[in-house]
Amino acid sequence: MIDQFLLGLGVVLQPHILMYAFIGVFIGQLIGVLPGIGAITAISLLLPVTFYLDATTSMIMLAGIYYGSQYGGSIASILLNLPGTPSSVVTCLEGYPLSKSNRGGLALFVAALSSFAGGMVGVAILVLAAIPMTIIALRFGAPEYAMLVILGLLAASLIGTGSQIRSFAMVVLGIALGLVGADQTTGYYRFVAIPELADGISLVSLAMGLFGVSEIIRNAAVRSTPGRVMSIRMRDVIPTRAEARTLGLPILRGSSIGSFFGALPGTGAAIASFMAYAIEKRVSRTPEKFGTGHLPGLAGPESANNAAAQTGFIPTLTLGIPGDAVMALIIGALILNGIIPGPRLMVDQPELFWGVIASFFVGNIILLLINIPLIRLWVLLLRIPYQKLYPVIIVMICVGVYSHRTSVTDVVLTLAFGILGYVMKNYRFEPAPVLLGFVLGPLLEDNFRRAMLIYRGDFTVFVTRPISAILVTCSVVLVVFAIRSSIKARRKTARVLS
Amino acid sequence: MQGVDQVQPSIAKRASSGGVLLLIGLIILVVAWNYPVGKLTQMGPGFIPRVVGFVICALAAAIIAIDLSAPSHARGEKMHWRGLIFVSAAILIFASVVDRVGLVPSMFLAVAVSMLADFDARPLNILVYATLATLGGWLLFVVALELPIPAFWR
Amino acid sequence: MIKKLLVALPLTLALAAPSFAQDFPERAMRIVHGFGAGGNADTVSRIMAEAISADLGEPVVVESRPGAGGTVASGYVASEAPDGYTMQLLVGGHAVAAALYNELPYDSVNDFTFLSTLGQFPFFVAARAGEYESISALIEAARAEPGSIVIGHSGVGSTQHLTGELLGLQTGAEFIHVPYKGGAAASTALMGGEVNVIIDTGTVISGQAEAGVYDILAVTSAERWPDAPDVPTLNETVAPGFDVVSWTGLGAPAGVPDDVVEILSTSIGKALAQPDVQEKIAALGAAPGGSTSEELKALIERQIAVWSEVIEAAGIERR
Repeated sequence: MIDQFLLGLGVVLQPHILMYAFIGVFIGQLIGVLPGIGAITAISLLLPVTFYLDATTSMIMLAGIYYGSQYGGSIASILLNLPGTPSSVVTCLEGYPLSKSNRGGLALFVAALSSFAGGMVGVAILVLAAIPMTIIALRFGAPEYAMLVILGLLAASLIGTGSQIRSFAMVVLGIALGLVGADQTTGYYRFVAIPELADGISLVSLAMGLFGVSEIIRNAAVRSTPGRVMSIRMRDVIPTRAEARTLGLPILRGSSIGSFFGALPGTGAAIASFMAYAIEKRVSRTPEKFGTGHLPGLAGPESANNAAAQTGFIPTLTLGIPGDAVMALIIGALILNGIIPGPRLMVDQPELFWGVIASFFVGNIILLLINIPLIRLWVLLLRIPYQKLYPVIIVMICVGVYSHRTSVTDVVLTLAFGILGYVMKNYRFEPAPVLLGFVLGPLLEDNFRRAMLIYRGDFTVFVTRPISAILVTCSVVLVVFAIRSSIKARRKTARVLS
Repeated sequence: MQGVDQVQPSIAKRASSGGVLLLIGLIILVVAWNYPVGKLTQMGPGFIPRVVGFVICALAAAIIAIDLSAPSHARGEKMHWRGLIFVSAAILIFASVVDRVGLVPSMFLAVAVSMLADFDARPLNILVYATLATLGGWLLFVVALELPIPAFWR
Repeated sequence: MIKKLLVALPLTLALAAPSFAQDFPERAMRIVHGFGAGGNADTVSRIMAEAISADLGEPVVVESRPGAGGTVASGYVASEAPDGYTMQLLVGGHAVAAALYNELPYDSVNDFTFLSTLGQFPFFVAARAGEYESISALIEAARAEPGSIVIGHSGVGSTQHLTGELLGLQTGAEFIHVPYKGGAAASTALMGGEVNVIIDTGTVISGQAEAGVYDILAVTSAERWPDAPDVPTLNETVAPGFDVVSWTGLGAPAGVPDDVVEILSTSIGKALAQPDVQEKIAALGAAPGGSTSEELKALIERQIAVWSEVIEAAGIERR
């Protein structure tokens, strides 16, 4: 496998291919920064360009846009609380507080570093274990997905910074929002007040509204906030030795979680980063610091979503099956180049297969190299007084959301969610669990109902299928632990109070 | 511990956060009541909505109970009316005109209106800044990214 | 701009479209479609946009207005000015939607000017390699034990789904139809062993078939498909008369002046005659081919009738 990887490196290191790899990650990163304009827009923008390139080069460039935009998405989340994807929602949780306390540079540095580490672990898994991972991924049928989501929801109910019951209520509210649109199993229209809602609420609208717009409402009319004087000396951007020491394990855990979930078609990065966050919070000795700009809470999920972005290519490359809409675009480009993606790709087109994988390796290095110097530039951005910044942010949100589906409804909904997010915050409800429920709820419902349909209403499938049984066990263990620790905590507070 | 003599917000205020949630739960139940429910092994499209509606109501009731019994901190923060109004106006104006007049005029209006939220904004400032921001937006979205949105309507 | 710079990099670009004076078009046109950016519909739109733009000398913008199986876009286009500057990329789903939706804000036939088909494509019935000897064996198995065969499809009300229902109705076999989010997910389920059969386009199935992972049991078109001459049709085996072929085409709001229709149709015809356009459309799994306005209209009317019957008979929830 190492030999083949070297073959791939040989392909990528040809100057013109290297150049397109650079263009891909660079454009991906820049476009990822723009709120609401994500990899899909970027890739479909550059798709026509691939008509003039060969398959390998096209795919290397498009793939670069994909994981490059993951890097970029973190930047907008950290600096401006503008998450474009569910995984960058988690980045907001610790990144934005850091930015607010004038440590945005540090947050960006840690994010870049964790992303790099996560990406590299993902590439390593891709090189060493693409086939075994594919086999595991294929074992995930409807029952497994349903149980996985339940495990994810349980793990992440611990995610909110406030009270447990409030964050759980927000998860359920998110599930409710995810119900809007045509029911996947029957096509029945639920809560479709206007035809534009038939495909459901757009995730971009929800995330931009709850996080970005609500934050602008809060800050726009606050008199004379001076530009934040953030240090841009490199010394203040790099974590101290003590801080750096706290990052190793979170990055390791995040990368492993991300690598695993990334390989499951269709779920990947979002679940991975929420899970990584929940786990960091769980194992932390200082869980109360989460939500206030705690570095491990940033590093874990960041490495998870970037690892997932790499292993997300596993089903695409080994089976020719796109894991999400972006991968579908990339496969589309291959098809237009006359290559039919499928299990034979690895055998028939080793240069393409391994060239693309090697390009991830090179691409991640490029991203790290362009990111570190750019941190100073991004931090300078925050020196602009907020009064000058927010009108521009509003316009970027509007254009980004509108361009997503050319939908005015989406823009109005973004505002509605902005107001909702603002009011929620005033009532001490956190927005992040809403996103979680929104992403996972439909997955749970669809897969549960699909499992019931396929196995004709037989509940035992959830425990007789081995992977599903393992997931059920994990969930039970989690619940038992949660109950035990909450009893302990109650005893403790009782003792302190008395 | 918290001073007992601290002025408590009124009961209505303390219950309001759970109350809003309760309202949402009830709305979900009312809207989804006629959706076919099916049964657990053969769920209809109405099954989960109904479950979700009930769970939200139950959680809302619990939250109201907690907020009423727990001392003090159920206090909402003051509203940022000015930001709320002008940010909303800016986004709504963008949404209502972008399909007809194109990207550039809509961006201009959105910037200009949202700047009114700022206490210190002067008309000339707004005009100049909105023009500059629109120019930047035009360069970014229309020239560089070639978003498939008309810059000016025809 | 970025795009232009990048395209200019490899010096393979054929240059400068000829532009000549005429009344139409005198400004940019657009092709609206109802699907996600970057999907097949989007790609076909872009291929056509490029070709039409090169021919007529004005830019053609592709606009994606996804939602409700393409009906959001159709509703939007139907209410736009019929001046020829707004076109719509239509797909087989246009006929399905007419049958599936209770209250569409437009009339699927009379609110449109149909320009031409661009290509037609059949669906293939596929199973894991070696599991069924032939399509007859599959139908036998389904008849022997009703409900034992699970068909994965790409979404409730998709043409794939309705094709599966039609197969059940015509053969008297009882299948369980399980919806997935798109053909790729259904294909994963087939590979993972969760469903027994999928019915989908060549783009979804042929990669696996070539690798020997899937057997293609049958094709849904009435005649054998030229790209896969060895695959028997449902028509000749288990379901005489079975003929499902999906298509893509271009339309516009009703009432476009005849001379403008003429200009556009001619341009579409020219585009479809170009080898590279043909190649790209073929790569997407369709047989490229134009039609007259009337032919496209007749095709749509025929399919609306078929799908209405299927939806009725299979008891699929109308929206």
